Amino acid sequence: MAKAAATGAEGSALLRWIATFGLLLVVAVPCLFIIIQAIFPDIGSGSLAAPFSLFFKTLADPALFGLARNTLILGIGTVVCAAIFAVPLAALRALFRVPGAIYWDALLLIPFMIPPYIAALGWIMTLQPRGYMEQLTGLNLAGLLFSVPGIMLIMGLNTFSVVYFVLSRTFETIGARYSDVGRVFGAGQWRSFWRITFPLAMPGLAASLLLVFAMSIEEYGTPAALGRRIGFEVLVTGIENRISEWPIDLPGSATLSLVLVSMALVAFMVQRWLLTRRDYRIVSGKPQASDKRPLGIWSVPVCLAFGFIAFLATGLPILAILATALTRTISGGLALDNMGLHNFEALLGRGSDGLIALGNSLALGSSTALLAGLFGAITAYSVVKGRGRFRLFLDALSITPNALPGVVVAVGIILAWNQPWLPVTPYNTPFILLLAYVCILLPQPVRYATASLHQLGDNLESAARVCGSGPLKAFVRIILPLILPSMVTSMILVFAVASRELVASLLVAPIGFQTIAVYIWTQFDQGSAGLGMAMAFCAIMITTLIPLGLIGLLKWVTKGRVAGLN
Amino acid sequence: MRSTIFAFALGLLASTAAQADVTVYSAGPGSLINDLAKGFTAKTGIKANVFQATTGKVMARLEAESSNPVADVVISASWGTATSFAAKGLLLPYTSPNAETVPDFLKTDTAVAQGVAGICIAYNTKSGLPVPKDWADLAKPEYKDMVTLPDAAASGGTYSLVEAFAANDMNGVLQSIKDNGAIVAGANAAALNPVLQGSKAAVFAAVDYITLGAKAKGESVDIVFPESGTVVAPRPMMILKSSKNQDDAKAFIDYVLSEEGQKAVAKVYLMPSRTDIKVDRPLIGDLKLLSSEGAPARDAVLDGFKAIFN
Repeated sequence: MAKAAATGAEGSALLRWIATFGLLLVVAVPCLFIIIQAIFPDIGSGSLAAPFSLFFKTLADPALFGLARNTLILGIGTVVCAAIFAVPLAALRALFRVPGAIYWDALLLIPFMIPPYIAALGWIMTLQPRGYMEQLTGLNLAGLLFSVPGIMLIMGLNTFSVVYFVLSRTFETIGARYSDVGRVFGAGQWRSFWRITFPLAMPGLAASLLLVFAMSIEEYGTPAALGRRIGFEVLVTGIENRISEWPIDLPGSATLSLVLVSMALVAFMVQRWLLTRRDYRIVSGKPQASDKRPLGIWSVPVCLAFGFIAFLATGLPILAILATALTRTISGGLALDNMGLHNFEALLGRGSDGLIALGNSLALGSSTALLAGLFGAITAYSVVKGRGRFRLFLDALSITPNALPGVVVAVGIILAWNQPWLPVTPYNTPFILLLAYVCILLPQPVRYATASLHQLGDNLESAARVCGSGPLKAFVRIILPLILPSMVTSMILVFAVASRELVASLLVAPIGFQTIAVYIWTQFDQGSAGLGMAMAFCAIMITTLIPLGLIGLLKWVTKGRVAGLN
Repeated sequence: MRSTIFAFALGLLASTAAQADVTVYSAGPGSLINDLAKGFTAKTGIKANVFQATTGKVMARLEAESSNPVADVVISASWGTATSFAAKGLLLPYTSPNAETVPDFLKTDTAVAQGVAGICIAYNTKSGLPVPKDWADLAKPEYKDMVTLPDAAASGGTYSLVEAFAANDMNGVLQSIKDNGAIVAGANAAALNPVLQGSKAAVFAAVDYITLGAKAKGESVDIVFPESGTVVAPRPMMILKSSKNQDDAKAFIDYVLSEEGQKAVAKVYLMPSRTDIKVDRPLIGDLKLLSSEGAPARDAVLDGFKAIFN
């Protein structure tokens, strides 16, 4: 292992510098200012007075314990729900010929594209008394919806696709080859799955569950919409409230964010410990036949399972969004004379603010995806194949933003980039949003790339070096194509999240600059829920169709030579 | 790397261009501030750049920017922000010539109200329940589990009302609606939404102009100003002392207080600050107002609210 690591280390000097410098600029600078803000309450006005005066006061607040405990409960509950939804589907999808597999994938991609606060609103409007479900069936599920398990279920449905996509790719790479060996030696089908295939998938499982954990402790929309009504407050709602409710408490929110970040870092250490105990390299360069088994009589129940989960995660929120977008007034309900396309007409009318916001968000989303994807691949490569003290530091730094609530990143970015002594600054230009999005979303490509790099033996790269290619060429020609499928998945995720990011955008958006999420939020704020939902629907459709179209195009251009794009 | 340099160059261009105009940070509603900015530019030829968010977000951005302030004019939905900014010496004293007919309690040396929101009961007209006349009606058995109210920490309007209740020894009302199953549902919009769909029947401490806006869109809601009295939430406009465009900022305040500006305020169902602008809705003079004199400090008010509802 040590010898193998050395090959990468030599080759990656330039890449390591890019990763280090970039991470410092994009992640460390805002984080540093958040720490400074936690210690020096008046740093906003450039004063270092009264250090630690509010730091210990916030930490000594007895409510903090409750917030931290609720956050942990919610994070773990969401991870469990997401795993229950995702693991069986991923295994079935990867190891068997599931009818219509590619369509299920497309359907399960959509939960990424639904902004969580919109999904939560959709659930509320469907399940609450006299909601859409009661209007259609006479039943309501308000009891389940406004409860802690209800919040976990909904957040699990919002996030399980992360696990599903990572894990199905991982299972696919492992294939049935290894478990077949087990079966030759007499293990049953289940036993060989649990003892061989499943353990080999640990990197993907651990990485994606860590992502879900970090996403759920950082998520604001769902706990805010559902939890506040039952008095279930978590750290992130506590942080957000300190920033959004007059009088503003920036030092307090910065301090609470540090608590949140330390929770994510502990989870990250656990994941790292799990991964470094064993060797998970399975891609050796030997060609493998993809040998998926037929499902036989199980086709129908498996399809029903896929259909049920896809309906809960995708169908129901989308239908609720569409119902709200199509109704003239909320109080009119689902009556025919209350339905119409006027919200879409107002949204897509010529020269409307909505179209401008869509354009802005799509441009920002795709730039963020490209930048974060490339940068994430470089960072992951430096971490996995590199050597030296910096590795752990880089890895930890790259996961940090995942646990930072977007609103805190926004404050850190304003503090850092609006300093009067800076000769030039991206602040108050759209580039500040790009900076914020790359910072917030970098953990996704890094996690995905790390997981697939852990499965990549070093002999392929060594072979390239022996045959005379330079280190950079080996990275571009050998490593990048091999991790491309994972990277494409993560870049789609980044694109989707960046084009609908709300909390940071609201605070840091340049003056007069609208994005999709800011537009939706403004509509809700003005009581035009229908118009907001119409925008949400269009945004979900566009952010789903663009990546799918791109993948189709890519497959067509490469004529299937790049593996895993399906 | 090249694109980063390009980005910085563009950023520089954009930030210098922004210097010559008036920059306004405003709490919602967005349509109002957009109308005002458009009207102002049409009238004066000065461009107005707008950043619109909630009062809290506007304040957070101002605080994070305080070493290098960007805004010239700030409009918030909570009068307390103006008092606090004035105490910190952040504001430029200015009295607009158009503020003559603005009543004294809606202006200070450094702030003047853009318009005024009233706090009321919003109810669903199709709920089939008796129309409430006073706060205490929402504690009656027919309103069991049918009432929402915005969180006093998130809504300036609810806060003002709770503060006035504390000052007038009316906290019993809050306790009785809590005992009747009322739920705290986040900010103003989150409290109104369940009432629109019919899941709940009434909002205790709703903001009048938001509800009237929904009614105008055809939603089956209406408002009642309770008999025992209510509070109003004036929306202060202030000029930051750090502004580099103070004359343009003053011109903006003048425009909002002009007849045209005040009509735009009335268009979103807010009460105009000027008493000589006639609009078709209950005005401050028509309301019975509760005094907040002798109310405890903000933290104590919020703690009292939390103690009842958590």
